[in-house]
Amino acid sequence: MKKALFTTLAMVIVTASLAACSGNGGSTETAKPSNNAGTSTNAPAVEEVIDPFAKFEQATEVSIGRGIDPNYKYDGNDIAEDNVYTRWLKDKYNIVVKHAWEAAQGDDYQQKVSLAISSNDIPDAMVVNETQLRQMVKAGQLADLKEVYDKYASPELKAVYDSNPGLLDGVTFDGKLYALPETTLPSAPMTWIRKDWLDKLGLEEPKSLQDLGNIAKAFIDNKMGGDNTIGIVGTQQGGSLSSNFLASTDHWYNFSPLFFANDAYPGIWVKDKDGNAVYGSTTEETKNALSMMRDWYASGILDKELGIRKSTAEVVASGQTGIFFGPWWAAYNIGDSMANDPNANWRPYAAPLNDAGQFNSNQATGSSYIVVSKNAKHPEAVIKMTSLHKWTKDEEYKTLTNGKEMTSQEVPLFLILGAGDQLEYAVDALRKVLTGEMKLDDVDDINYSWAYEMAGHVQAIKKEPFDNYDIQYFDQKADPGFFSHIYAHLNGGSTFVDADINWTRSIATAQTKTMESRWTNLKKLEDETFLKIIMGSVELSAFDEFVSKWKSQGGDKITEEVDALK
Amino acid sequence: MIPRSFAKHFYIMLIPGLLWLIFFNLYPMYGVVAAFKEYNPGLGLWRSPWIGLENFKYMFELDDSKIIFRNTVVIAFSKMIGNLIVPLVFALMLNEVKNRLFTRTVQTIVYLPHFLSWVIVGGMMLDIFAYNGPVNSLLSAMGVEPILFLANANAFPALIVGSDIWKEFGFNAIIFFAALTSINPEMYEAAAIDGASQWQRLIKITIPSIMPVAALLATLSLGNILNAGFDQVFTMYNPSVYSTGDIIDTWVYRAGLIDFQHGLATAVGLLKSVVGLVLITVSYTLAYRFANYRIF
Repeated sequence: MKKALFTTLAMVIVTASLAACSGNGGSTETAKPSNNAGTSTNAPAVEEVIDPFAKFEQATEVSIGRGIDPNYKYDGNDIAEDNVYTRWLKDKYNIVVKHAWEAAQGDDYQQKVSLAISSNDIPDAMVVNETQLRQMVKAGQLADLKEVYDKYASPELKAVYDSNPGLLDGVTFDGKLYALPETTLPSAPMTWIRKDWLDKLGLEEPKSLQDLGNIAKAFIDNKMGGDNTIGIVGTQQGGSLSSNFLASTDHWYNFSPLFFANDAYPGIWVKDKDGNAVYGSTTEETKNALSMMRDWYASGILDKELGIRKSTAEVVASGQTGIFFGPWWAAYNIGDSMANDPNANWRPYAAPLNDAGQFNSNQATGSSYIVVSKNAKHPEAVIKMTSLHKWTKDEEYKTLTNGKEMTSQEVPLFLILGAGDQLEYAVDALRKVLTGEMKLDDVDDINYSWAYEMAGHVQAIKKEPFDNYDIQYFDQKADPGFFSHIYAHLNGGSTFVDADINWTRSIATAQTKTMESRWTNLKKLEDETFLKIIMGSVELSAFDEFVSKWKSQGGDKITEEVDALK
Repeated sequence: MIPRSFAKHFYIMLIPGLLWLIFFNLYPMYGVVAAFKEYNPGLGLWRSPWIGLENFKYMFELDDSKIIFRNTVVIAFSKMIGNLIVPLVFALMLNEVKNRLFTRTVQTIVYLPHFLSWVIVGGMMLDIFAYNGPVNSLLSAMGVEPILFLANANAFPALIVGSDIWKEFGFNAIIFFAALTSINPEMYEAAAIDGASQWQRLIKITIPSIMPVAALLATLSLGNILNAGFDQVFTMYNPSVYSTGDIIDTWVYRAGLIDFQHGLATAVGLLKSVVGLVLITVSYTLAYRFANYRIF
């Protein structure tokens, strides 16, 4: 009863705030964009020429659901709903962004989105994940964006999607375009290690699993992080042990690399040696990985509180541990650690390798999507916002924002958009601009505008030697607005770009029919068994029981369905 | 007999409670039809296709259903008993202390945790029972190996029940304090003159006098027999304690809001309500028969 109350209360709040927002939406008339931008295309006369960057004639309201970082500090009195960026949108383009609701980024936001979908009470637009997108398509809650996209998307936006083949096809169902997908930045989990600790102990960077285990042991034995030094940290309470096919980009703070280095791919569908689909969590390789992790846990290498720790970020920041797993962009999130200890020199390594010396990773499939409700009055405004977010950064904009790069906290409906090879290009451009091999003007600011922005700041931040990305060779004070970007791209991005990665892609990237009803149960079985095996509360043989149970409780049927997909 | 005009006040005072009941308990009830449908949010509750008892059939096939029902009953029942006895004993003990300043201070302090949300208290519990937390420091000082309480399936329900009692006993004791102050002091005076000891006065006067209140509270709390406390368990559990800690509400949350299995989640929730109704009816009858207590 308490739960029902909780849910109802949440729904009531959502409804009330939605009503409040739609209540003052005065502009009922469809805003017509001015078509004075007379580009000389030889389009037929009947078709109106639309300037994707034109101002709406009337205030055009878009209600959104918004994820907020509670710790983010805005300039002055700015808030998420009213800041430099949203005022610019309003003054220059007449786009008024209203928040139907706000929730803290991460689980809270996802929960709120799911609640909105389930209660069919969705704002004009929001950013959702793949499972939510599919649920919304199935429920018929979304607007077909095909027409507005063709008409209103800027040439640059279209170029981005054209350079990422298959991205728009992935969100086109029955010929209808239901979302604007993020151009996923490729990501593989790397091993992040305190290099200052390695140097102090005179240790080499890790290659094999064995090396990694020894380093963790050395850190603990030498009390590098105090009496309670933790070897390797990862999954926290509510998190998962590894990424899976429904959240394939989820590589931050879990133990995926320990599985990958054992050639195990839990959570995704792979091919066995006969070419048949098999669920990675049920393979012999996964059992081996679990057996190894069980030993590591028993000998204290892995965090004793894995899976129940309140916050992994907390122990990373406090300097209690020297090893975690994360993607290249994890460099953005180690600022607290560096603030607590200026010597903290976190470096990523494309390790551990498997027995054959390969660095394995599963391949990310889905990420974030902007979706528009079928009841939205101005889907074109959403398209325009997406175009604006990335392009038309004129002088006026630069003065307004004071040169600060706007983040997802200022920009509503923030989506990472760029050419398919944006990360490679950015890292390459930064390196070459540093060494003088490339001039700033030679950086392609049309297709890789972000790389161009960063290249303009890199020289003030990166000190010599240019090919050493240890923290002491960065000037953190010179250009604080860009330091974290440059540091993340050079320290994290470069290692990732240079790594030779053996990718494995899941055969299925969304739930099949049987999964829809059985997955909660099967997932629970898996999570519980794996965690218990690692923590030693059940024998390793529990894995075989898990496999047979998993198969009989619907797993076999699901595998058949997945096999048909390949 | 209360005069009619005066009785009006009672009806007016009833309104907020009734409104709450209608909006939060009766109104959402129509949602149970989702248990018999393949719910599609886009079509809405009424236009979603009927699938009969499909959801229930699947629910009974699942091993999970038995486990989560058992966990829910075990945790909720232990909480019920604990939340009755601990505040009662506490109130009786504090009642014997004559220093009013002391009793007032203690009362205020012990009921404070009631006003903290489980998100906060749950976080505190995670810290207190952490591997390097205060409890384990104490144990290791006594030469005991550190224990991972929160990953221990045997310890977890005790932890849930214990922390719930710790959080609520001060608040629950308020009703007992009220009952204790309403006992006629003349009885104590008379007993004292007759030479009854402190202990005899407690056994013969205090306890019998507040028994009806205790019976009332016990009966009322039976309505919560299947509420093991979603917010508490959710902030404290993890997969390694699913076998004893996963309750109906957390399971329904994962099935309904994470995996969008609305029908199944509703079916499980409905079964919970049905079992709850039966239990309440039975306990109400029992309360009438043995304690002569009636609500209607």
